[in-house]
Amino acid sequence: MRAGGLIVLLCGLLAVVFLSITVGARPISLGDVWAALTAPVSDSTTHRIILELRLPRTLVGLLVGAALGLAGAILQGATRNPLADPGLLGIEAGATLCVVLGIAVFGITTLSGYVWLAFLGAGIATVLVYVIASLGREGATPVKLALGGAAVTAALSSVTSAILLTSVQTLDQIRFWQVGALTGRTMDILWQVAPFLGLGIVLALTTGRILDGLAMGDDVARGLGQRVQLSRAFVGVVAVILAGAATAACGPIAFVGLTIPHVARAITGPNYRWLLPYSMVLGPILLLGADIVGRVIAPPGELQVGIVTAAIGAPFFIAFVRRRKLAEL
Amino acid sequence: MFKSLFAAALLLGFAAAPALAEEWTYTDGTGQTVTLDHVPNRIVMHANTAAGLIPLGIRPIAIYVDTPVAEDKSLQGLDLTGIEIVGEAWGQIDIEKVAALKPDLFLAEWWPLDKAFSGLESGAGSTNQQILKLAPITGPTQGDSIVKLIGDYEVLAKSLGADLNAPQVVADKAAFEASLEKFKAAVAAKPNLTALPIWAGTDGLYVAATAGASELMDFASWGLKLITPEVADDRGYWETLSWEQADKYQPDLVLVDNRSDATMETAKAQPMWTSIKAAAAGQVTDWPAFWLRNYKAYAGALDKLTAAIEAADENLTN
Repeated sequence: MRAGGLIVLLCGLLAVVFLSITVGARPISLGDVWAALTAPVSDSTTHRIILELRLPRTLVGLLVGAALGLAGAILQGATRNPLADPGLLGIEAGATLCVVLGIAVFGITTLSGYVWLAFLGAGIATVLVYVIASLGREGATPVKLALGGAAVTAALSSVTSAILLTSVQTLDQIRFWQVGALTGRTMDILWQVAPFLGLGIVLALTTGRILDGLAMGDDVARGLGQRVQLSRAFVGVVAVILAGAATAACGPIAFVGLTIPHVARAITGPNYRWLLPYSMVLGPILLLGADIVGRVIAPPGELQVGIVTAAIGAPFFIAFVRRRKLAEL
Repeated sequence: MFKSLFAAALLLGFAAAPALAEEWTYTDGTGQTVTLDHVPNRIVMHANTAAGLIPLGIRPIAIYVDTPVAEDKSLQGLDLTGIEIVGEAWGQIDIEKVAALKPDLFLAEWWPLDKAFSGLESGAGSTNQQILKLAPITGPTQGDSIVKLIGDYEVLAKSLGADLNAPQVVADKAAFEASLEKFKAAVAAKPNLTALPIWAGTDGLYVAATAGASELMDFASWGLKLITPEVADDRGYWETLSWEQADKYQPDLVLVDNRSDATMETAKAQPMWTSIKAAAAGQVTDWPAFWLRNYKAYAGALDKLTAAIEAADENLTN
């Protein structure tokens, strides 16, 4: 039954990918789309829109959606915190600060330049959170990780705000990145982040057994022979790879990571070996779906996917939470 | 005898008093009049107003800027020695620094759409209004022409004691008029040429409405054919186009907002930038957007535009 559900979702994902390539701010006929994909003419504007705008943004959306869904699921599992998302460990705050510093201090203005900065920031912030949480006798417990993450996020965000308040030019540059968007993502950016996203996704799918163990509580997990601290550190590293690369590619889109695991959990129950693949498929359905809505809702312009995800996702999530008892972590 | 002498001295004194402390009056574009009992000489100005008045010989004691000073286009090339900076972010004025300077007047531009002087807009810092307790504020009105605005600055500068016949002032104006003639001639020589003023972001292409920018209205009045976008947003400044729609307008010359150098880089990095034929052909130049305030800067901007117009193929698009 769970396998059948996954197949249904995969069909849904295919449909979203199809729409993502065929629907946009510029109406393009299916025939032209097919021609662009099979026999592209290099000076045709229509063909270039398909190949240089829609295809990269669809692929980026696919990978980033999967990464965010998985990152949220494994973070919620590792910290046993239903509110965990890539924002929790300071990943997004760190990435944002590094990108802002890059613009303000080094004058970097290209999206491909932001990628490495975001990665660096995500890594530094997470290490910092982990070190803070590890202080004291009992090591990095879920509660201390959450508190450390909240504190580091607050500290980094205030530095970011201070820089943005004093430099309008930096604010101008960062504003579209900070909302979270799939527009303007070219093949270059895809090639930069795809290896990390691919690796992260494969590693995340192997953490099912670890997370099922951690879900029983640290003591039980330890009793079953699991090395709790090591497991948690491994899952943390995978989450940084996933969320860091996703943030690098699209800017901070936190909402997907928070909600998708809850939706997946409602379908699969608490078993991570099913929850992880479900999250991986549901993530891009939400992200690409929101992106498609954003493309057609404000013609001849577009709305950023970060805004649409939150606008569509939040009411849906509230209704979802109210209607059914969420599976406990 | 002494008595009458005393009376005469008193009379003389009264007669002389107004001549010693001359009254100063200025009426802004909305009809509001500011009167001071002396010609102000401790003036705090918004950066753009300083950019209008410094070249005419009137120097502020302090300025507030919407960005870090180095990033403000209007201040480029001006000598700011001895001028204190009391704000380097939009809407932020350091009220304590300003109070310590004991200013006798604030000068800024009146924005009819916002119904406010620069720095006192509704979104600006809430403490900014307190500058009005230190001294009154006035200044010329933003309108449909930078040339008219510069003329308003000349009137204001003269009332503040500037010598508009100073050699540098006269030379700057003459240079501008020469540049303007060349610009008009270049435009007249290419009657088919159309231009499109834009701002570029990774999220889309923003096409400027001519009526939203004073210098664009100047260019149009001098014969340059600017494409006007069909739909403008609620403030009437821009039409937002998805990059998929970037080829909606096909000008012969693209003018890129140059308030930030990054805008041109962003534009060139977009795959669909070259779907605008003029961009593909390299017929792209700077649009000195919203920041021209004096003849010298205007002459430089016009020369650059003239060169681009002369080099452009006017029949690139029809």
